[in-house]
Amino acid sequence: MIVPRPIGPRVVRAAILAAASVLLLAYVLAPVAWLLSSSLQTEREIVSIPPHWIPDHPTAQNFRAIFATGLGLAQPSPNGADPASGGFIPSVAGNLLPAMGNSFIVATAVVILNLLIGVPAAYAIAKIRFRGRGVALYAILATRVIPDIALVVPFFLVVRKLGLLDNLASLIITYLAITVPFSVFVLASFFEQMPDDLDRAARVDGCSRLQVLLRVFLPLARPALVAISLFAFLASWNEFLLALMFTQTAASQTLPIIVAGITSDFTVSFSFLNAAGVLAVLPPVALAVIFERYIVSGLTAGAVKG
Amino acid sequence: MAIRAVSHDERSAFGLLAGLVAVLMAVTAFPILYSLWISLFAVNLRRPLRMPFVGLDNYIAVLSSPAFWESAGRTALFSAMAVAAVLVIATLVAVLLDQEFPGRRVLSACLLIPWAIPSVANGLMWKWIYDANYGALNGLLLQLGFINSAMIWLGDANRTLPLIANAFIWKEVPLAAILLLVTLKSIPSDLYAAAAVDGAPAFRRFVAITLPALRPGFLLVALYEAMMAIRHFDLFFLLTEGGPGGASDVVAWRIYVETFRNLSFGTGAAMSYILALATLLMSYALIRSMAEKL
Repeated sequence: MIVPRPIGPRVVRAAILAAASVLLLAYVLAPVAWLLSSSLQTEREIVSIPPHWIPDHPTAQNFRAIFATGLGLAQPSPNGADPASGGFIPSVAGNLLPAMGNSFIVATAVVILNLLIGVPAAYAIAKIRFRGRGVALYAILATRVIPDIALVVPFFLVVRKLGLLDNLASLIITYLAITVPFSVFVLASFFEQMPDDLDRAARVDGCSRLQVLLRVFLPLARPALVAISLFAFLASWNEFLLALMFTQTAASQTLPIIVAGITSDFTVSFSFLNAAGVLAVLPPVALAVIFERYIVSGLTAGAVKG
Repeated sequence: MAIRAVSHDERSAFGLLAGLVAVLMAVTAFPILYSLWISLFAVNLRRPLRMPFVGLDNYIAVLSSPAFWESAGRTALFSAMAVAAVLVIATLVAVLLDQEFPGRRVLSACLLIPWAIPSVANGLMWKWIYDANYGALNGLLLQLGFINSAMIWLGDANRTLPLIANAFIWKEVPLAAILLLVTLKSIPSDLYAAAAVDGAPAFRRFVAITLPALRPGFLLVALYEAMMAIRHFDLFFLLTEGGPGGASDVVAWRIYVETFRNLSFGTGAAMSYILALATLLMSYALIRSMAEKL
């Protein structure tokens, strides 16, 4: 009599892990895959029922239209078919690339200011004894308990008074409120893990505090610096509420604002809408996947302390 | 050491902290105080020259308005759904990523995608998925035979909040899972080894060891996600604009309408203050209740 070999617990475990992994991957990727697939379809294909999960005739015409109008090589032509079939190009198409540029300028400036402000402050909190040091870090983090929407009214009145409405400077300054506390928190946690002897030895050698920071700590803090730069960049790139309040024309509108406008514009074709979405998603997703290790360790550093 | 001269160290500390202090004063402390001030006046941009002091009238008007409490109820419901679902899904994801298996690294890299996506793109994506005519949700359910005719998803007042919460949850699960994974990694592995020797099955081990050890992580995630959910605005703006018929009219949306559509800055500021205080109270209550069980 042949006895069926019992399925070993290792096989069961592997099967469960594989099934769970596939499920998680589908949960995370399916919505994004649908966005991407829709952006590559013609309008005629995108309104087919049932939907074409994989386009029969993938086309990059939407993206070509965005780049051509954005670079001034083509004019929007609100008549004709949809952009994916050639012809029709919605008038907002030309705003997407400049908005991407605005987003990039704002995010880069916010990153630089975060480093300039955050690095010295985090070093002082982590390595120098001063009165109030114990509560400083938590006080800084506590400022994030205030909802952004509560800051909108006073920000708006001040920005208007300073004449900075519709100016990228208003975004750069206000985004510091969102990003700097977390940057300081992550960096200070990182500096605290470094041995105090490092600090003392350099000081005995006659380095000033600033020199210790620049020559000893900064080179060692590379991973944390990468992490906080990414956080500040992504937070600025993705921010919507404040940009919605402070920007009025294409001169200062960031990518989320233009994309939100397209979302509620009924004259824009579905496939073009999805192409705009892909454009907004691509840079942050690429950064996150490439620098995954830095991001996770940065988030982790914050969590362990908190 | 009652009186102490400012030491050399302290002076350099203050120098290094100067930039941070200036920024926090300008973009956090000042706006908070300024909005408290504004909330005591009847500021309306349609009548910019008249700005009478009204004391606590704005607060009284907000708190005595039934519509505000209905919005507050929706915010509470949305947040409760979102936080509960994020906790459950993120725990499962964290337990999965805590295992050693081929492909784990790829999986955790992909997990960051929802976290990195701008909330506007997230809103656009889900609005298209929920689309009543050509959306993926209808398409999928029709193909699988779960429904017989296309549904109007976001247009159904009973489904709006859960569907918006679903979009919110999708984006928030990765961060929550990463934070829980940190806590999981801190559980000493000999605990599991001892339980395995005792013959405790996997599910018992999960209930007896993993869940209790995860408590600090749960507290952190619940606190953070509740704060994010209570203040959430972007998806409400993009998916429904408070509709249909006020079904997704949450407090954050109401503040926006009051401030930037009705241009009543005083009422808007008072409402923001109430929201901020509620957030603080909620955080305090959550910390107290969960800290007791730690």
